[in-house]
Amino acid sequence: MRKLLYLISILIIASMILTACGPVNNVPPLVDDPVVDDPVVEEPVVDEPVVDEPEVEEPEVEEPEVEEPEAPAEKVLVRWFVGLGAGSDEGTFEPQNAVVEEINASQDEFEIILEIVDNEVAYDTLATQIAAGNAPDIVGPVGIRGRDSFFGAWLDLEPMIEEFDYDLSDFDPALVDFYMVPEEGQLGIPFGIFPSFMIYNFDLFDEAGLNYPPAQYGEPYVMPDGTELEWNMDTLREVAMMMTVDVNGNDATMDGFDPENIVQFGFMNQWTDPRGIGTFFGAGSLLADDGETAQIPEPWQEAWKWTYDGWWTDWFIPNGPYGGADFLQGPGGPFSSGNLAMVHLHMWYVAPWALGDVGFDWDLGATPSYEGTITSKMHADTFSIPRGSSNPEAAFKALTFMLSEEFAPKLLQIYGGMPARLSLQDAFFDDYTDANFPGKTINWDVVVDSMEYADNPNHESWMPSFLETTDRYNEFWGMAANTPGLDMDAEIEALRQDLQDIFDAYFTLQN
Amino acid sequence: MTASTIKKTVKKPKQPMTNIRKKEARWGLAFLSPWMIGFLLFYLLPMLASFGFSLLRFNPAVPDESTFIAFSNWQRAIMVDREVRLSFIRTMHFAAISLPIGLGFALFLAIILNSKNVIGKTLYRTLFYMPSMIPLVATVLIWNGVLNEQTGWINMLIESLTGIQAVGTQGLRWLADPQLVYFAYTMFGLWGIGNAMIIFLAGLQGVPTELYEAAEIDGASWLTRLFRITIPMITAVIFYQLVLGVIGSLQYFLAPFVLTGGSGFPQGMTRFYMVYFYKQSFSFFNMGYGATLAWLMFIFALVLTIVLFGTAKYWVYYAAEERK
Repeated sequence: MRKLLYLISILIIASMILTACGPVNNVPPLVDDPVVDDPVVEEPVVDEPVVDEPEVEEPEVEEPEVEEPEAPAEKVLVRWFVGLGAGSDEGTFEPQNAVVEEINASQDEFEIILEIVDNEVAYDTLATQIAAGNAPDIVGPVGIRGRDSFFGAWLDLEPMIEEFDYDLSDFDPALVDFYMVPEEGQLGIPFGIFPSFMIYNFDLFDEAGLNYPPAQYGEPYVMPDGTELEWNMDTLREVAMMMTVDVNGNDATMDGFDPENIVQFGFMNQWTDPRGIGTFFGAGSLLADDGETAQIPEPWQEAWKWTYDGWWTDWFIPNGPYGGADFLQGPGGPFSSGNLAMVHLHMWYVAPWALGDVGFDWDLGATPSYEGTITSKMHADTFSIPRGSSNPEAAFKALTFMLSEEFAPKLLQIYGGMPARLSLQDAFFDDYTDANFPGKTINWDVVVDSMEYADNPNHESWMPSFLETTDRYNEFWGMAANTPGLDMDAEIEALRQDLQDIFDAYFTLQN
Repeated sequence: MTASTIKKTVKKPKQPMTNIRKKEARWGLAFLSPWMIGFLLFYLLPMLASFGFSLLRFNPAVPDESTFIAFSNWQRAIMVDREVRLSFIRTMHFAAISLPIGLGFALFLAIILNSKNVIGKTLYRTLFYMPSMIPLVATVLIWNGVLNEQTGWINMLIESLTGIQAVGTQGLRWLADPQLVYFAYTMFGLWGIGNAMIIFLAGLQGVPTELYEAAEIDGASWLTRLFRITIPMITAVIFYQLVLGVIGSLQYFLAPFVLTGGSGFPQGMTRFYMVYFYKQSFSFFNMGYGATLAWLMFIFALVLTIVLFGTAKYWVYYAAEERK
């Protein structure tokens, strides 16, 4: 009896283990590659052998005919991971789902499965999926930062672009090259671009009796006495100080100004990191041209010191302690609170979630220059295919639908991006205004013009130990934002040394 | 001949087990097996696997590029990466502040609530224990609000009572000032001190009352009774709390992570060892290096615990051993 009990127990345990370790039933559609792959392969490529077949093996042609009814029912599943960039805000879920349903209904070769992950956990989730051999098939929209956080994990699309003869002529060649990474390949096809520019609060300027910042590049700033000043960082500082007001109504240029009780600020480089702030003064990289040395580009050092002074001596930029102040909280951060006169931000900010319900009038303006050079940093989003994708060809096919003239505009409306397709750019701004800011006149010209001043190298470019390096310079920045009286030159040098240590450790392990 | 050698020489030869003993042993093993299987699968094997990872350059984003690098990760952690040393020093620094305050406060509360003269002891015990039932994440977020430099009531209270400017951007920035942040984090810990207090209370209630009665007859003061009877009699409990506290301090992670996301703010002061381990493993995806850091901490915690146990014979009193 006891032996029987043991035997039954062992059998139960064994069956549980086998059940747990067994294959998942949902997998078959993914495994049926051969059946479904045929339609996925581009027609021109398949056409060639098909011409030969009828002559030689006519009876065999009947076999695929028998299988054909099954094929449409078994679409290849293409998992689309959203979360590294735009698209993880709740308001975008339904529109994204609608586009996915539309794409799925428009063909019978693949079925896109949308997986939206909150941005906070998206990086860990994606890393875990890749490590577990369960990588999604498409990831995006993803910017340079998101892409480089997974350096080495992306598929080179160039072979498939050639194989499927994908037409890239509707994209600016420079933008296509933007996604060509040395030793990695073509990691994406241009989808959405997000130039940066100034955004300013009309009401606060009216209240202060100051003229608005220049709407177009090349225009000067006109002071209240009629003096025309070049729209550069010095002028921006001066205007921003006049727009910074304390509780007694004094502005930051006045003697009685109380920096401990500021109620309105003049300027902020909102929602960017030290690399973005550095690029405000000029393009550069923390990695020197030799690919191994850490550096802080000269314009970045100036930009950081300018910002530091703006926090702690000129007071026109909200510093760390003011960052949490109630009067600077709004749905779109400090600018949408209505108590910040100017920000420098990207196209993705000109969206209903940030500016839709604000209680003041606003418009877009030109980025100021630094030593005669204007740099408007650029964000660009794409969709990439992880190397671990189990259906890369179906994923590429799905990608072509998402980037097509039919579906890309719909997705761009959701993410607030400017189309990378040249043919879509003309109509975009009218459609975007009608959909998101009906009746409002917006200075879209400056957005298009800002593209001419895009940063090269891009401020989000790859660095060794990308995430660790990012963490280190963000720590430096947090410390500066919260600590008055620092010797910034010494701190910058300390940062450079730390970055060098991180780079050295990276290269040591690589070798 | 010492007693131990006599014991060894008179050791009986091993007797074959009877059927009943064998049956009992089998059932005993059967009942133990779930734990043993669990330990094997979920502790021992992952530990061995993590040691294996520590010898690899392993990034989960590109698992196919993993390479064996022998002890390079260990070399980096011990010889090169000064953040390992700094984060460890921060951890010990914080432990040196929070552990004595935490243990002392828990013991103080337990002594007060064990006093015959306190009215409503049960109510107070419940009240002091209640905060420890709140999830730690919620506790940390609540304290984050309470200690806010602009809207937190602690600063408002300090300012209204003392007149010192505590509120505002130039006030007491508990969580942003490197000089204050460890005290702020210690306050989070004090709120959840209920468990430690209950254990101390149980220890205090186990002290034989006749010792106090004899001391009272001898004219011993309250303080004398505390230091000559109470504390010596509960050293085993203090030791237990100390070991748990030290290990807990080495693992300190949740509060800084919830408040700063592991950024180390302010000025890296809250990048404790486990935070750095987490960042390396799960933010920077340096899993191999992270495994090395975990092993280093394991080794250090083991050594520290052994040292603590080694000191125990000099100051910990076990009544049960005395009776033997």
